[in-house]
Amino acid sequence: MSLSQTFIQQSLIFYVLFWIIRVNGCVRRWRQPLLRGPEWFFSVHVHPDFYSSAGKKLLQHYRMRMFIPFAVEIPLAIAIFLSGRFSLLIWLILGLTALIHANHLVSVDLAERQARRFGVAEDGQPVASLMFSLTPRRLRDYTNQKLEIALALSTVIAIAWLVRYYLDAPEHYTWRFVFGRPAFLLYIQAGLLFLKRGIVGWRTPIPQEHADEHFRAREEARKFYVKMIEWQRISTAAALLFWPVLLRTSPAQWRRLFNMWFLLWIGISIALTIWIELERKRLRDLDRRARPAKLPDFLGESGNSRWPVCYEPSAPMLVLKGTHGYSLNLANTLAQIGAAYVAGLITLIALLRIGH
Amino acid sequence: MLLTIDTRDPRPIYQQVADGIKGLIARGVLKEGAALPPVRQLAADLGVNLNTIATAYRELQKDGLIMVKHGSGAVVASSTAAERTQAELLRPLRTALTELVLAGLSPNKIMRIVVQELRTVTKGSK
Repeated sequence: MSLSQTFIQQSLIFYVLFWIIRVNGCVRRWRQPLLRGPEWFFSVHVHPDFYSSAGKKLLQHYRMRMFIPFAVEIPLAIAIFLSGRFSLLIWLILGLTALIHANHLVSVDLAERQARRFGVAEDGQPVASLMFSLTPRRLRDYTNQKLEIALALSTVIAIAWLVRYYLDAPEHYTWRFVFGRPAFLLYIQAGLLFLKRGIVGWRTPIPQEHADEHFRAREEARKFYVKMIEWQRISTAAALLFWPVLLRTSPAQWRRLFNMWFLLWIGISIALTIWIELERKRLRDLDRRARPAKLPDFLGESGNSRWPVCYEPSAPMLVLKGTHGYSLNLANTLAQIGAAYVAGLITLIALLRIGH
Repeated sequence: MLLTIDTRDPRPIYQQVADGIKGLIARGVLKEGAALPPVRQLAADLGVNLNTIATAYRELQKDGLIMVKHGSGAVVASSTAAERTQAELLRPLRTALTELVLAGLSPNKIMRIVVQELRTVTKGSK
């Protein structure tokens, strides 16, 4: 079997796994509106007859919107299979992952806004009293020092190994080939750290009533996301360390080693997916105990914030509610760093021509 | 270290934020040198206008309670407000006492309330 056939085979396995993993997510999203019981539609408290009247249609529309990613995916997947360019499957998976999450966020928000008209009036009012924690949350409080040392060491070893390899390597091994993948992985690692910093620092007010439950649910969610990022960082560091190992291997052993790595990676991914689903279930239970509450909107709708992006330095939130929907505020520091990161990622991919 | 904001409170939000931080300093929850989030970050987290937090911080700075460092947030400068004359300090107390008397409370009850409130405000402080 040639090298390209190995890649094709692995891309196909990835794609099949992607479909299997999605089944649970689809079931979860399907049930999500009724998670709190028949008197709730997501976090909107509704009348008991809601699901036999207007709610029936809202629920149907929400569930139909769940299929938008499939409508995008199926023609693209058919085109890929017909053209035989199976390497594109990985990009399709990455694009779809983003689309599924974005579609879900927008869909839930739309469904909740539509359902508020039919909600229990007194529960639709924003809470009057809010609490806000001023306690500084530092990155080091959510950092395992031993893990950080291990990640730093493995990165330094991998780079030193690659530099040495490049100096001794045959002439046809360009710097782009030797350092391209590691540069990409290091950039992803930096992005994950940025994301972790954002999650650790994330704060919003909570209703004073049932404050403990809200704090606990929020803190547990924070720890879960931090753990997920740590796992991603470990796998990125492992991929970086594996690259010089792979380059040093003789062509005969190369495929065997690559297949072993691939199988190990698949095994860990499946174990992590199971862990993620169990944790999500635990978080859902915690979340159920904290009764949803509408928070007051101190700014109201801003006529200046146009969809999809705006620049409002006087209102430095990440997302602003405008007259035509939500808008990403580029005056927010996170939005600025995020935009710079995405631009840098595109530039890096163009420079390194990953995948060519 | 919790700030409470109440939309039914007649005080504007900036005043509630400033009073909340003052309370935390008075109770010793926020000690000298303790860091406070930058104006921009606090405004973004709370979902209020930048000027709301800037005004609250300005008031705290005027009282000598915090020191605002441009771009890197603020730190608690002192656990005692800038010196004011006794007349200035007594004015809000007298207003509050007048309100209580007008509400029909007896001097003994007012005294009990004052002692209890003083205990709450100074709880945890030296």
